[in-house]
Amino acid sequence: MKVINFNNHKFQISKEGILFWFDKQIAIIADLHLEKGSSFGPSGQFLPPYDSEETLKKILNTIKDHNIKKIILLGDTFHDKNAISRMSKKVIILFRSLIEKYEVIFILGNHESKFEIGQINFLNEYVIDDIHFIHEALQTSVFQISGHFHPVATVKSNIKKITAKCLLHTNNHIILPSFGQYTGGLNITNPVLKPFLNNETKIYMLTKKSIYKFTSKEIEM
Amino acid sequence: MSDILKIEPIDNWLKKNNWSFYNHQVETVKLSENGFDVLLVAPTGGGKTLAGFLPSLKDLINNKSEKNKLHTLYISPLKALTIDVHRNLTSPIEDQGLDIRVETRTGDTSAYKKNRQKILPPHMLMTTPESLALLLSNKESKDYFKDLKYVIIDEIHVLVNSKRGDLLSLNLSRIHSISPDCKRIGLSATVKNKETVLKFLTSKNKAKILNVKETSFPKIEILETKTRVPWSGHMASYAIEDIYQKIQKSSLTIVFVNTRAQAELVFNKLWQENDNNLRIAIHHGSLEKEIRRKVENLMSLGKIDCVVATSSLDLGIDWGDVDLVIQIGSPKGISRFLQRIGRSNHKFDEPSNAILVPSNRFEYLECLSAIHSIQNKLLDETREKKGSLDVLAQHVLGVACSEPFEVDDLYNQVINAWPYRNLTKTKFLEVVEFVKNGGYSLKHYEQYSKIGLNKDKLYAINNKSVRNRYKLNVGTIVESYMLNVKLGNKTLGQVEEWFIEGLNEGDTFLFGGRVLEYQSISNNNIIVKSTSHTHPKIPSYAGGRLPLSTELSIEVRKLLSKKQFWKNFPNQINEWLKLQSKFSNLPSLNGLLVETFPRLMSGKKRFFLICYTFEGRNANQTLGFLMSKKMLRIGYKPISFVATDYALAIWSMNEVKEVNSVLNEDLMLDDLYEWLEETPLLKKNFRDAAIISGLIERSIPGLKKTGKQVLFNSDLIFNVLKKHEPKHLLLEVAREDSYRGLIDLDRLSEFLKRIEKNITHKKLDRISPLAVPLILEINRQTIDKSEMEEYFLEELENEMLSEVGLN
Repeated sequence: MKVINFNNHKFQISKEGILFWFDKQIAIIADLHLEKGSSFGPSGQFLPPYDSEETLKKILNTIKDHNIKKIILLGDTFHDKNAISRMSKKVIILFRSLIEKYEVIFILGNHESKFEIGQINFLNEYVIDDIHFIHEALQTSVFQISGHFHPVATVKSNIKKITAKCLLHTNNHIILPSFGQYTGGLNITNPVLKPFLNNETKIYMLTKKSIYKFTSKEIEM
Repeated sequence: MSDILKIEPIDNWLKKNNWSFYNHQVETVKLSENGFDVLLVAPTGGGKTLAGFLPSLKDLINNKSEKNKLHTLYISPLKALTIDVHRNLTSPIEDQGLDIRVETRTGDTSAYKKNRQKILPPHMLMTTPESLALLLSNKESKDYFKDLKYVIIDEIHVLVNSKRGDLLSLNLSRIHSISPDCKRIGLSATVKNKETVLKFLTSKNKAKILNVKETSFPKIEILETKTRVPWSGHMASYAIEDIYQKIQKSSLTIVFVNTRAQAELVFNKLWQENDNNLRIAIHHGSLEKEIRRKVENLMSLGKIDCVVATSSLDLGIDWGDVDLVIQIGSPKGISRFLQRIGRSNHKFDEPSNAILVPSNRFEYLECLSAIHSIQNKLLDETREKKGSLDVLAQHVLGVACSEPFEVDDLYNQVINAWPYRNLTKTKFLEVVEFVKNGGYSLKHYEQYSKIGLNKDKLYAINNKSVRNRYKLNVGTIVESYMLNVKLGNKTLGQVEEWFIEGLNEGDTFLFGGRVLEYQSISNNNIIVKSTSHTHPKIPSYAGGRLPLSTELSIEVRKLLSKKQFWKNFPNQINEWLKLQSKFSNLPSLNGLLVETFPRLMSGKKRFFLICYTFEGRNANQTLGFLMSKKMLRIGYKPISFVATDYALAIWSMNEVKEVNSVLNEDLMLDDLYEWLEETPLLKKNFRDAAIISGLIERSIPGLKKTGKQVLFNSDLIFNVLKKHEPKHLLLEVAREDSYRGLIDLDRLSEFLKRIEKNITHKKLDRISPLAVPLILEINRQTIDKSEMEEYFLEELENEMLSEVGLN
C-alpha cells in the first residue's frame, strides 16, 4: 500500500484499487459495475457470468484483515437497473454478506437510477470531515473523492509500453480506478480528464504486484 | 482431340482462336461424366480453370437444364478471383451466344443484385466460402441448392489447413445433404501431399487425382547489384536502381513483396527512380477496392509496366502478360514462391522468369536455398488441421437459421466433412450447448437461448433477430480494428488501429503510394493531408509475414554447413561467413550453435545469448518465451528477446554461464502449458475464437474507444473464464490454435529432439559477425509477462527518482 495525504488526512491505496481510511475504519471503492457480463445476455451474447462473483470476493478478501467498519461505494455499483434481478444465488449471498458485515454507503452513479434498484438507498454525495464522496468529480475547490472515469495510464520505458489502472491525486481530488471485473479503462490522456491533470497531479499505477508513483510529466501524454 | 468432347459451341470457339483442348481437360470431363469427383493438380497457366468448368458447360449445353435453377457453384478463396474467372468464362459464352447466365456473389455484391439472385438464380454462381455460408443460412437454401450439379473449388490447396477451409468443408457437406448427386471438382497448384487435398475435397470413394506434370522449368536468378547486401532490414532499398533497370527491360513486371509496408516503400522508391516515366502501380489488401480494381484492369489491358504487390496478387489471376516476376525479400516457402513465379509467362509450356532480391544477408542464403530447392523439386508440406470448434459453432447456428435440425442428422453431416471426421458426439453436443446459451455450467442464460427445441423436437432459432445477427458475424477471418484513412472527402483505404496509436500530429506516413501527414482522428476516420515530405514514417504491419518453412530451413543449414558451396557466393557474403568461422563457429546441419557475449545497451551492461536455430520466427519466439521463463526462475533476470526466422537473441541482467541449464527438452515442455496460460497469444486466439463462435459480436460497440465509456475487452472475459471454467470450449479452441499456429509446437519439439546433446556453446567477449544482423534487428518485441513488467517499472521509477535526486 502507498500512503496518500489528502486534506490533512492519511489515506492508503492498495494494489487492488481500494482506498483505505484506517483512522475512520473506512474502505472506499469505485465502479463495481456488477452484472455487466450478464447485461449482454438479452442480445444473445453470453459472456461468462462470473464477473460479479469475482468482484465481490475480491472486496471481501482485500478488506477482511483491516478492521473495516464502513464501505463507501462511489457509484456505478450496478451496471444497470436490472442488475440485481440477473444475479445468481451465489452472488446474492456474497452481496448480502457484504451489506450485513459492513455499513455500506451507496453513492448514485450514472448507470443507476435512484428508485429502481432493490431496496438500496442511494445518496448523491456523502461528506466526512469536509471531504465529499461523489461519483463524478466536479471542477470546484471542494475536497472530493470520486470514481466514474475508470482511469488508466501508460508509461513507456525504452523497451516497452505498460498500461495499467491508476489513481489520480491532485490537491483537492482523488479519482479512483474502476474496481469491477469487467470494467475497462479510459486513458488519462483523454481530454475529459485534462482538468484533473497538472504539474502537481500524482499518478499511482496499480499492477498485480505493486503500486508505482509517477507525476504527469513522466507519463506519456 | 476436341471431337471427343462434343461440346460444339466450345469447340467452335477454340477453333476460332486456333486453340485445342489439353489432355487433362479432356480427362477431367471424362472422369466427371463417369461419376468421379476430380482433383486437378496442375501448374499455373495450364488451362486449369477451364478444365474445371468444362463438365458443367457440357452438361448445360447438351442437356438444356431448366431455367432459373442453380446448376454450378464455383468457390474461390479470393473475391478478385471470382471476378476474373467470371470474365474469362463470359468470353466463350458471349462469343457463342449461349443461354448460360454466370454471376458473382461476394461481400462486394450489392444488396439489389443479391436479392435478384435469390429470386432468379444464375446457372453458374461464383462465390467465396463466406458468401456461400451466408447463402446456406437463408430459409430458402434447401430449395435453392437442390438442383445443383457441380461444385468447383479453385485454389483448394490454400484452404485445406485453415479455419476458412473448415467452414467450407462443413458447407460442402451440407450441400451434399441437400443435393447428394452433385459432383465436385477441385483445382490445386502443385503441392506435396495431394492425397490430403483430395480427402478434403470429397469423402467419396469414386474420386481421382489428375496430376499434370510441369513441362518447363522456371528461370530464376538472384539480382546482382552494384551495392552490397545490407546486414539487416527488410526493405531492399539498396537494390532499387538495379530493380528499375530490370523493369525497364521487360514489358510487364510484378514486384512481389511480403508486407504492405514493403509495398509502400518499394513503390515510392521506384517512382523516385522513374526518370523514364514507366507506368508503375501498387496493389495491396488495404487499398480501397475501386483502386485495386482499376489497377487490375489496367494490367489486363496492358496499360501498365509494373505492379508492386503483396500476396493480394498471389493466386491464379490472369491479369495480362506478365513476363517478369521480381521477389523482394525471401519468399519464405518454396510452394509460395513457385506460385508467385507462376505469375510470369502464364502459359503452360514456356518457362517463367523470376529474379530474387534478398533484403539482408541471411535472406541471401535463404534465396539461394530456395533456388536450389526448386531445381531439386522439393516442395513444402501442407500440414493437416483438425476442424476448429469455434467454426463449428458458427456453422451450427447457420444451419439452425436455415431450418430446424435434428441433432443426430446434423452430427452425421458434420463428421462427413474431412476436418471433422474424428469429432465425437460428446464434443458435438458440447458445441450445440455452447450455441444455445454459452455452454456454462452455471445455467445463467437459459431464458435468452439462441436456439431451442421446437414442438417437433428439432433445434430451431428462437427469434428472427438471431438470424440477422448471425449474418453480421459470418466468417473466420478476424481483423484488427481498422480505421479509414480520409483525405478530404475521399477514403483512401484502411489501417489497423494500433498503427495510428504510435503517431503524433504532423507525423508522415506512406499509404497508397503517397506520403500523408497525420492530422487527427475522429470516429473511425484518420484525417490526413497531402504533404511534400520525402522522409515519411513508414507504416509497418506485423501481419502477413510468414515464417521460414521447415523444408527451406533445412536447405539453409545445409548451405551454411558445407564450405564447398560458398565459392558461388558473392564476396561480401563469403567474407562474412569466413570471419564468423574464424571468430566463433558456424551453425551445423543438425546441431545448435549458441553464442554468449556482454554488450552495452542504453548505457547498461547486458548479457546476450544467441541461438542459431533456423527454425522460423514462430518456433524461435516460443523458444524465446520458454527460455526467458527458465532464466527468470534461475535468477538471470532476462529483459527481453528478439526472434527472427534464423535465430533467437535473449538479453539479461545476469550472465548465463551454463546454456544447458536453460535449454533442455523435458524441462522446457513442462513449462509450456503454464506459460501458454499467461501469454498474450492465447488471449488473442481467445478473442478470435470468441468472435468466430459468436460469443462476442464483430460489431460490438464497446470496441470503439470513444468518450468516457468502457471498452469491452476480451482479456477480462478470458481471465474470468479461465478461473471459473478452465475447460470451456473456447479456451480449448484458443489453446489448440496457439499450439498449432504461432507457437509452432511441433516444430519446436522436433528441434529440441534434434539438438539434444549437440549444442556448441561459444563464450565470446564481444558480438560475433553472425550476430550483427540480429542485434540490429532488435526492436520492440518484448516479453509480455507481468513479472517482467515489474522490472521495467522498478527500473524506470528508480531512474526517475535518481534524476530528481531522491534515490
